[in-house]
Amino acid sequence: MTRADYFVLAGALLLLPWLYASYWHRGGVGEEVRIVGADGREILASLRKDREIRIEGPLGTSVIEIHDGKARFVSSPCHGQLCVHAGWLHLGGEFTACLPNRVSLAVVGPELRYDTINF
Amino acid sequence: MRNDTGAHTLSFTATREDYRIAWLAALAITIHIAESMLPSPLPGIKPGLANVVTIAALLLYGWRAAVWVSLLRVVVGSLLIGTFLTPTFVLSFSGALASLAVIGLGSLLPGRGLGPVGYCLLASMAHIAAQFYVAYRLFIPHEALFGLLPVLMTAGVGFGLASGLLVRAMMAHFKSDAGPGAPTA
Repeated sequence: MTRADYFVLAGALLLLPWLYASYWHRGGVGEEVRIVGADGREILASLRKDREIRIEGPLGTSVIEIHDGKARFVSSPCHGQLCVHAGWLHLGGEFTACLPNRVSLAVVGPELRYDTINF
Repeated sequence: MRNDTGAHTLSFTATREDYRIAWLAALAITIHIAESMLPSPLPGIKPGLANVVTIAALLLYGWRAAVWVSLLRVVVGSLLIGTFLTPTFVLSFSGALASLAVIGLGSLLPGRGLGPVGYCLLASMAHIAAQFYVAYRLFIPHEALFGLLPVLMTAGVGFGLASGLLVRAMMAHFKSDAGPGAPTA
C-alpha cells in the first residue's frame, strides 16, 4: 500500500461516521409532545416539565407520563397494551397510539420525521 | 477500400490492444452477470467484483483501457441481462462514469501515487455517490432517501477495500510469474 492508499482509506473510514452522524437521527431530540384524544382535542405539552396527563377515551382513562424529556403511556384500559409496550419516546417524530381508546402520542421535534416511507 | 472485384468492403484490423480489451471486457461482463443473479439484502448493495477487472486493466494497461473495459461491461452486460436503458442501467452507467473520472484523476497523482486498494476504494465510493445522486435527482426525489446513504457507503467502502485487496493479490501474482501477461508499466 502506498501513502496515498492509506490516505484514501483513512478518508473513507472518517467519512462513514460522519455520514451516520449527519443522516441518521435527523429529527433530534423532541421538545414537545402532541396528544390527541378521542374527541379530537389536542394537548401540546413540553417535555421539559415532568407531569402526568390523564385522557378519557371510550374505554376509560389512558395515563401518559412525561419524565426527564421523555413521554410514555403508563397505563391504558385497552386489551392489546401496544401503546404501553411502545415504551419511552423522546426523538422528534416518534409516535405511538392507543387505537381502542383513541388516544395518540407524538413527539414533536425541531424537524418532523417520517414514521413510514414506501415507494 | 476497394478490392479486386471492384466492390466496396470495410475491413478492420484488430490490434493487440483491441484483443486485450475484448478479453478483459468479456471477463468483466461474465462477473457482472454472475453477480446480478446474487440476492442482495438491500437494493443497491452488491460486491461490484467486476470492478476488479477495471482496476486491473488500469494498473496493467492504463486509464484508456480501464474506460473501455468498464463501459463495455455496463453496456453489453445490461444488454445481456435485459436492463439496457432502464433505471438500473442509468444508475450503473452513471456509477461507472463517476468511478472512471475519479480513478482518472487519481492516476494523475505525482510520486508513487495510488495502489490497487486506493483505486478500488475511490472507484467504489464514487460509484455509490454518483448512483445515489442520480437516484435522488431522477427516481426518488425524497429527503428520506438520505437515510440509506450511510448504509450504502459502508457497503461501498467494505466491498471497495475487499476488491482492492483482491487486485493487490492479483498484481503480486502477475509480477511473480513474469510471463506474457506481465505488466508492461
